[in-house]
Amino acid sequence: MTRPRARRGMLLAAALTTVTLLAAGCSGPAESDEGPVDTTLNVWAGSQTPITANFNPYAPTVLHGALGPVYETLFFYNKAGGGDPVPMLGESFAWNEDGTVLTITIREGVQWSDGEDFTVDDVIYSLTNEVGRSANLVSAEASDDTTVVVTYDSPQFTNEAAILGGAWMLPEHVWAEKSVEEATTWANEAPVGTGPYTVDTVSEASYTLVANENYWQEGKPAVAKVRYLGIDANASAEDLLKSGDLDWTGMFVPDPEGVAAAGGPTGYVNTPQDPTVLYTCANADLGCKGPQTDVAVRQAINIAIDRGTINDKAFVGLAAPISPTYALLGRDDQWIAPDVEKESPQSGDPEAAAAILEEAGYTLGADGVYEKDGVKVELTLTSVEGWTDYNDAAKLIAEQVAAAGIKVTASTATWQEFSDSRQSGNFQLIMGGIIGTAVADPFQIYRDWFSGEYTQPVDTQLEAGEWNFTRYSNPVVDAAVAQAAAASDEQTKMDAYAEIQHEITRDLPYIPLVINATQTFYNDTEFTGWPTDEDLYAFPPSWGSVSAGFILANLEPVE
Amino acid sequence: MAEYRILPPRSEKLLAGLFITGGIVLFAVVAPFLVQDPRFSGNDAFLPPSADHLLGTTKLGYDVLAQLAHGARGSLLVGLAAAAIAIALSLIFGIFAGYAGGWTDEVLTMVTNIMLVIPGLPLVMVIAVYAQSRSLWLVAFILGITGWAGSAVVLRSQARSLRSRDYVEASQVAGERTWRILLVEILPNLLPLLAAQFLFAVVFAILGEAGLSFIGLGPNGSITWGTMITEAYGGNAMSAGAWWWFVPPGLLIAVFGAGLSLVNFSIDEVVNPKLRVVAETGDRRRAPEAAAPAAAPVQPAEPKAEVTA
Amino acid sequence: MRYYLRRAAFYAITVWAAISLNFLIPRLMPGDPADIMLAKMARSGEVAPGVERTIRLLLGSDTNQTPWEQYVAYWGSLLRGDLGVSVTKFPTPVTELISAALPWSIGLLGLATVISFVLGIAAGAWIGWRRGTWVDHIIPGSTLLQSLPYFWVALLLVYGFAVVNPWFPRIGGYDVFTFDGPEATAEFVGSVIYHGVLPALTVVLSSFGGWLLGMRNMMVSTLSEDYITTAEAKGLRRSRILIGYAVRNAALPSIAGFGISLAFVVTGAIVMEQVFTYPGLGKLMITAVQGNDFALMQGLFLVITLTVLAATFLMDIVYGFVDPRTRLNG
Repeated sequence: MTRPRARRGMLLAAALTTVTLLAAGCSGPAESDEGPVDTTLNVWAGSQTPITANFNPYAPTVLHGALGPVYETLFFYNKAGGGDPVPMLGESFAWNEDGTVLTITIREGVQWSDGEDFTVDDVIYSLTNEVGRSANLVSAEASDDTTVVVTYDSPQFTNEAAILGGAWMLPEHVWAEKSVEEATTWANEAPVGTGPYTVDTVSEASYTLVANENYWQEGKPAVAKVRYLGIDANASAEDLLKSGDLDWTGMFVPDPEGVAAAGGPTGYVNTPQDPTVLYTCANADLGCKGPQTDVAVRQAINIAIDRGTINDKAFVGLAAPISPTYALLGRDDQWIAPDVEKESPQSGDPEAAAAILEEAGYTLGADGVYEKDGVKVELTLTSVEGWTDYNDAAKLIAEQVAAAGIKVTASTATWQEFSDSRQSGNFQLIMGGIIGTAVADPFQIYRDWFSGEYTQPVDTQLEAGEWNFTRYSNPVVDAAVAQAAAASDEQTKMDAYAEIQHEITRDLPYIPLVINATQTFYNDTEFTGWPTDEDLYAFPPSWGSVSAGFILANLEPVE
Repeated sequence: MAEYRILPPRSEKLLAGLFITGGIVLFAVVAPFLVQDPRFSGNDAFLPPSADHLLGTTKLGYDVLAQLAHGARGSLLVGLAAAAIAIALSLIFGIFAGYAGGWTDEVLTMVTNIMLVIPGLPLVMVIAVYAQSRSLWLVAFILGITGWAGSAVVLRSQARSLRSRDYVEASQVAGERTWRILLVEILPNLLPLLAAQFLFAVVFAILGEAGLSFIGLGPNGSITWGTMITEAYGGNAMSAGAWWWFVPPGLLIAVFGAGLSLVNFSIDEVVNPKLRVVAETGDRRRAPEAAAPAAAPVQPAEPKAEVTA
Repeated sequence: MRYYLRRAAFYAITVWAAISLNFLIPRLMPGDPADIMLAKMARSGEVAPGVERTIRLLLGSDTNQTPWEQYVAYWGSLLRGDLGVSVTKFPTPVTELISAALPWSIGLLGLATVISFVLGIAAGAWIGWRRGTWVDHIIPGSTLLQSLPYFWVALLLVYGFAVVNPWFPRIGGYDVFTFDGPEATAEFVGSVIYHGVLPALTVVLSSFGGWLLGMRNMMVSTLSEDYITTAEAKGLRRSRILIGYAVRNAALPSIAGFGISLAFVVTGAIVMEQVFTYPGLGKLMITAVQGNDFALMQGLFLVITLTVLAATFLMDIVYGFVDPRTRLNG
């Protein structure tokens, strides 16, 4: 992989003055000459230059290499394919009846990369330290050398994946001394972890990981060296992918077939995960302003949108259909109530949309825009500048709903404006995303994005962990969310979900568009063991937290 | 005074410049009425140039020619508006300062010099971010208020040299009011220089707008050549082989800039008759009132490096 | 003497104004940096609870200080050489980020600017000297070069010479696939030069036209001065007149412009660096503005302003020697 480039560099040093001629001359085929097979895996996980060493998993600027390759969790949850949690540093776990006490048995014989043993103290530190602890945690105690009993103040069934599959296991002997402040601001340049890799070098352009000799899984990892690159623009990354310089990346490429055709890696998998929606500031009681506070307008927009065209043109046909229940189609089908619409319509129906508006008392104005009480149905739809798929979709939506007598102006905004307006509720429509759940269960979306307890009045910023940007607040939904959280059997949970789904598919605080594509490209001619469509054992993109380490440990170079 | 300002005869450069500039302005004014809606997505995506779509279509199926026509309008508006603002400011900080002298001059020159050394693009970026939603006019305004210092310096030195001319001093002695002297005696003599500065400011602003658009700080919702390049880049026009989407807007910016430069050249020859080159090398006509060399209106290249980055 | 006092006052006031502006502008920026960072992380789908708390701790916006206290504190830390810690590249000190990027910016852009200047001046002098002949036809072409958008040129070069014909590398200041970081070997230096070709070509192509035209005009106008005529009348050799009289005088204003433009090298070809993922200051500037990274932004502003001032100062001194008239004209 890196051979031709190395040669180029050497030749170049020999004759610096004739750069141009030389470059043309040495771009020929690589020579398979002396030396061992180079098994460096080149990865782009979205980092931009300059790269600065930070392997503290609690830091916002942590490098991807820390999350999975260096640090591990107790269990591994497969976000892409579902299935049972895979034991990692934990061997087994059990809940008590009401979901407040969790008993974890840890793996024996695991060593930290500095040679110390992994013990229950490390687990306790990782779950109880000031930065990482859950707000509901009461205590975590060791009952013997391999068992930890964790107690919570409320049922935590629905947080299982976040606790067991999300909490990083950190070495107590390194971290215990750190104050809260230190634990968050420390760059941890030479991390001590249990994962398959350890940090080797860091420069402003790249950082490299090398195999952890003492990894607890015998014979893994087989790839000796992994290099994470910093690349500033998607277009550059795409060029490098197509030229075969990158071995693994998760990025949006409009023509995935073109990658292999151009000489890039032949492995490709698309795992749509995250819903793309229109946030609407929906709740006039909390201060939202504009026509979209009327549910009839939201319903009209919902059916006027031609999702098929949006997918074809803005998402180049790579996105997947969305369920208005926000259960991920194919993965979470068992959680969709039988009497709600399972999938949002693919084609637009402007007449039906217009009919909804007329029924709600709107009249068509001379300019072809509906109005009621002198107020026109005119809305601004904002998307973040530079997210071309969103920008394109917004333009298409504006064009589509115009046929239903709704005037939408597509506008772009910077990060600042986007973040500001959704945090404060000062918007009408925003093209945005909902974070897909890590397990085969839409609960987290219902609680974090739809419940009234996870929002604030307009002009008040949402607090940490609150994602309900629409200001939607519905007592029926709130009660059902509480019911589901405490449910220990599936039927109770399903009943609660059905209730939520009826409410949100009618009220549409978020107007569903598509499930956005998550593309992953990988070099399966030089490395094997990747997740594929047939065997989706882990969420495939290179930026996936936890899953990236799981995949790296499974890879093997082809001799 | 008026005689020497008559344009030099048979200037091919002027003709070419006027032809290019005029053509593009005409295109911006007329073409938007003749083309498709630039936001009509019903066409197929990435169609190469054909009889139906002379310059093909974009990723969303927009007609490139239509986008180019509306983009011309947008870019020219930004350019003209920004240049107007910049020239107005440089008049105040240049001519007024140069004529007034004394403390007024000291203070105004200080401001000019500070504006000159404070990095332009970063300042523009910060202001552009501060403005929550940026219309075409706002972008023009930002580029205008940050892009005047260079021409102010040029105008000031010219105004200073005019101030000591006999006829100006005569007016002063005759008791004419300052404003009248500025408007009637000084300004007309600076007109060619002003025109040159104005044309440069237009190109400068169009390039600036393109640079801002490229880093995501351009005008929201408007079509300009800059936003077209940015969209083509973001839409992977080059790797999709859609050169007809990516190349024309950049080329038009360059060609328009070249057209204005050529016009400028001719203006320069008026301002500074030494520049008039007659085919016979030996004949070097000299004008009676040659401008000081330091006031040569062709700016060094640094303002461009600063804004388009 | 008065001239030097005035210049000294100018530098003092400019430094003060620039630093105060540095202080002010980031504080006028809208948006809560913590929310922005969260929003960005949510785009890729994963925000662990610990991280969220960390962000709030780090970027908590209320400091309970009056603006004046902040201003004084700002000056204090500035004088200690402390430019703060970058938020987007936490926890790296700003000084470290800037000093890592500075050599690349100066090396690449400085060199490219010098090349572009020398080429432009030489070509301009030649065209001016041979005015009225066929070489005048080069002028329209160079006006075209003069108004090329930098990044557009960069993208075309990338497409033509790195993608379609992979003669030159696509990204980076050196071969990131071979070297794990800068090292002092001939190979590395070769790699740096090789990687600098396209970025440098971008700069040269899009700035050389301006130098050429400026120099050509000065040349033509200098050639009609009395002393040239005198020199010709004295029967001096043409080459002596060209170099010793015409070029020397004609280049003066260009050299002044060159001083400034060399200083602006630090701003970098901001957008160009983005295209090439080149590790210079321009890229840092974009990162800072987009991430509301106040400290980094201020640091960059400061470095850029001071460099420009230093260049101006240098030019002042040079000019004071070369041309005593400047001292009168101010």
